[in-house]
Amino acid sequence: MEVNIMLKNIEMPKLSPKSDDYFFGTWKKQPGDQIKKGDPLFEVETEKVISEVPSDFAGVLKEQKVSEGDPISVGDVVATIEVDE
Amino acid sequence: MIFVQSMGHQAADNFALEYWLTKKGFDDLVFLLWTTDPTIMLGKYQDALAEVNLEYADLHHLTVARRLSGGGTIFTDRGSYQYSFIKPSVKQTIDFDSFLKIICNALTELGLPVKRSSRNDLTINGRKFSGNAQYNRNDCVVHHGSLLFDANIDEMTAALHVDPMKLKAKKISSVHQRVLNLRNFLPSLSSDEFGAKLKQAVFNQAGKVVNYSLTSADQGEIQAIKARIFANPVFVYGQTPRTAIMKEKYFHGGGLVKLAVNVDHGYLKQIHITGDFFSNLDVRGLEKVLAGKMFQPAIIRPVLDQWLQKTPIQNITTEQALDLLFG
Repeated sequence: MEVNIMLKNIEMPKLSPKSDDYFFGTWKKQPGDQIKKGDPLFEVETEKVISEVPSDFAGVLKEQKVSEGDPISVGDVVATIEVDE
Repeated sequence: MIFVQSMGHQAADNFALEYWLTKKGFDDLVFLLWTTDPTIMLGKYQDALAEVNLEYADLHHLTVARRLSGGGTIFTDRGSYQYSFIKPSVKQTIDFDSFLKIICNALTELGLPVKRSSRNDLTINGRKFSGNAQYNRNDCVVHHGSLLFDANIDEMTAALHVDPMKLKAKKISSVHQRVLNLRNFLPSLSSDEFGAKLKQAVFNQAGKVVNYSLTSADQGEIQAIKARIFANPVFVYGQTPRTAIMKEKYFHGGGLVKLAVNVDHGYLKQIHITGDFFSNLDVRGLEKVLAGKMFQPAIIRPVLDQWLQKTPIQNITTEQALDLLFG
């Protein structure tokens, strides 16, 4: 059976009604890790709240686009995932 | 609402209890009310070196603890109350309203004219007496709040005062504000009486309150979480990837001391000592011995003391040097 590999961008979702700016805390997955939909991918802080952000896709984490401690905003691409189609 | 008795006066025990409650799977809102022995509590992504006067904390036996929630550093003691809510089945969108409503209504019931700020602090006459923060885990939200009732404000000020330094680190910084103790408005109450009234006022907001007593098996699981996370110095001190510190001070009769320090996840990677102080100290040798050690006064003090006893620096004591390094 032929398997098509697609690369999907993981973007920073909107978590706060008040602020679109986040402090990127920690990666929960490393490049090459197998990821299930819903697995925590990374952790951010905004407005004194620490939130784990889960993956919307199943696949393999291809690339981390931001580093721990970086400032990021809603819509920023933070990672790419190879998704089995 | 479910009320769970807190785990004594160590922050690490109660942080572990909150964490355990996110796994426990209660389907109702859980409420905890607790106090601590004198403690400096860091937010999850704060740099201990930037926020805490570690030398003062060490000399005055203050506990340094780290929360899993965000926000800034606070000082807590038996005169300040900590409240925690653990709410199950929450959406990921941030919400402080439901928790702050309970606390504001309870404090209003006690006759306090409280207001809520845009940073989710609680104030009276513009002065802060409560800060609030949260973390999400296992589809639960853990909401933390602190309430100053009769806290030792002088100790708070000293412990959280860190000398200005050239410091490069990616971190969350604290916002310093004017604070007040609620006891100014309720002078006839002791801290214990205030806690009892606050607890009852919170219960009055809930339709029904169930007390849950921790079993010995529960306590065993909570102690294991404490040992793995909240009492682990790597968690408390090692959250900041890299910190570069430059400090210098002129000691009267001793001369100028300059320190350039690199700390990586709580470990001293490199220290460079320069200045015009008077000593036959083998500075490069001391730098080598210090490199690789955990960057805490209790670890650095005996090493420094041993070296300075052999080859003193004129008019600069070990504690003065530590104060420059950690103060």
